[in-house]
Amino acid sequence: MHKPAISIISLEKHYGDFHALKNVNLEVPDGQTLVICGPSGSGKSTLIRCMNGLESYTSGDIDVLGMAVGDNTQVLDQVRKRVGMVFQNFNLFPHLTNLENCVLPQIRSLGRDRGAATEEAQEQLKKMQVNIHAAKFPDQLSGGQQQRVALARALCLKPEIMLFDEPTSALDPEMISEVLDVMQDLARADMTIVCVTHEMGFARAVADRVILMAAGEIVEEGTPVQMFNNPLHDITREFMKVVN
Amino acid sequence: MADAMAPPARQMGAIAWLRKHFFNTWYDAIFSIIFAVLIFWGLQALIGWAFVNAIWRVENKNQCTHDAGACWAVIESRGRLILFGLYPYEEQWRSTLACFAVIITIALSCLPRFWSIRRLPLLWVVGFGAFVLLMRGGFAGLPLVTSEKWGGLSLTIFIFSGVFVIGMPLAVVFALARRSSLPVIAKSTGFFIDIVRSLPLLTILFAAAVIVPLLVPEWLQGSKLMRVVVAFAVFFAAYQAEIIRAGLQSTPDGQAEAASALGMPYWSLVVDILLPQAFRNTLPSTINQAVITFKETSIVTIIGFFEVMASGNAAIGTGEWGNQYIEVYVFLALIYFVFVFGLSRYGAWLEKRMRLGHA
Repeated sequence: MHKPAISIISLEKHYGDFHALKNVNLEVPDGQTLVICGPSGSGKSTLIRCMNGLESYTSGDIDVLGMAVGDNTQVLDQVRKRVGMVFQNFNLFPHLTNLENCVLPQIRSLGRDRGAATEEAQEQLKKMQVNIHAAKFPDQLSGGQQQRVALARALCLKPEIMLFDEPTSALDPEMISEVLDVMQDLARADMTIVCVTHEMGFARAVADRVILMAAGEIVEEGTPVQMFNNPLHDITREFMKVVN
Repeated sequence: MADAMAPPARQMGAIAWLRKHFFNTWYDAIFSIIFAVLIFWGLQALIGWAFVNAIWRVENKNQCTHDAGACWAVIESRGRLILFGLYPYEEQWRSTLACFAVIITIALSCLPRFWSIRRLPLLWVVGFGAFVLLMRGGFAGLPLVTSEKWGGLSLTIFIFSGVFVIGMPLAVVFALARRSSLPVIAKSTGFFIDIVRSLPLLTILFAAAVIVPLLVPEWLQGSKLMRVVVAFAVFFAAYQAEIIRAGLQSTPDGQAEAASALGMPYWSLVVDILLPQAFRNTLPSTINQAVITFKETSIVTIIGFFEVMASGNAAIGTGEWGNQYIEVYVFLALIYFVFVFGLSRYGAWLEKRMRLGHA
């Protein structure tokens, strides 16, 4: 049997008194595109950030690419080299050019030499159609362009899984599609993707599975068609009404 | 499009400009006239004293009796004392070269292309090392000149750059230690920084010069100048560490998260991502701290070092040139001004450059 790319078993997370994640069980098979949605404060960002160890958890098990994501920083480093992440606020390094943003992580994480790293960076920037901005600094670019540089930066490490934490929430409406387009290309190229988003158009187009979270729990999961057309729960129905 | 965006033409004559900025209302006009008269009167007096009525060269100092103007001959006669202190006369070319080595190092480290974790320290080790070797000598036929004989502007530059070379890395270590996730390290560093900051610089320098030799075995003492520079550096580091810490705290959490998510190791996060941004964010405070430190170097006089200020005092203290103290102080003020004004203009240029989005 093929091992799932990500498997999460009875995950619990408490922030002081706040119960952020309640008994979350989840498997993401290799090559699948999973969309996590839900109202704000439902724990979806917390869950995705647990997957590469940016967030610690109280109990449960997370297994990513056969590695146990926990407190062991050496294992975490290994996981992060193989799992890319894109953030809501891009988090590009503002003091480095867009090219250097893509080159430096390759050198520091993978030990690539500068020549190979630069070549790879230019190729990824080109795929994201931001190669003409390589020599500029991030704050000289629009939000949509910055997010595509951030995506190129993550892809330079040749990750096996991509995590997207609300990648279009900080963008002006007219820039959302330019980011979603490149994400859809990735999904069609069989990259394993976990994406927290409110963009139901994206979910409808490429998601293999949609999960709805509320109050730290997975309320419902299913194919996009099923979730949009025949939701089983009231919360799902309400949510789909609001976002569509 | 280009036409529409062209800036409005500036067609303001000198008269219109004066009117707008100085004579807009009747009280503007009164203040403008009063200050114009004051400025004119002040400049006239200054130029008259410093240039028109000044005496530039004299056969002997008794010719400096002309009260209406400056007698710059004192600088010619005592300038070497002010610049080099008691450094042997025949070897003063070494002191000059050494000063240039450090000044070039300072100028080069102002260029953004040297701002990397490898280049900057290397530059300073070379520049500062050249200074010490030249000043000290004792090799390749250069006579040994020990640090007790160093003085004047070269001593000021030595103390300033020594404090920077030792203090800056120390400040980085303090700032990182204070933010350490280990409470013992964070708390004790914080405590140490607060203690140093609550003591006057004078007390710390006195302790280094006078008390340390009583407590520390001789082989560890170093020379008095070394102890004073190290103590001064610790004092500087305590302040600079707080500046760097503020810079680290103003860097968004997302930066560290992005670096971790990309699998970059901790040292790289600190060296490549956090520190460069922290220094950029706190540049005005760092320049300010450098200016304060440069001016505070004159405090070492009190423990018997003849830096530029004390050498200036010595130059007029002999009685021979006692009447020319104003000229000497003006000369000293000019020296300080060149350094401090240079530093602050550089700071302003950097800030502007960074606002434009460059590194």
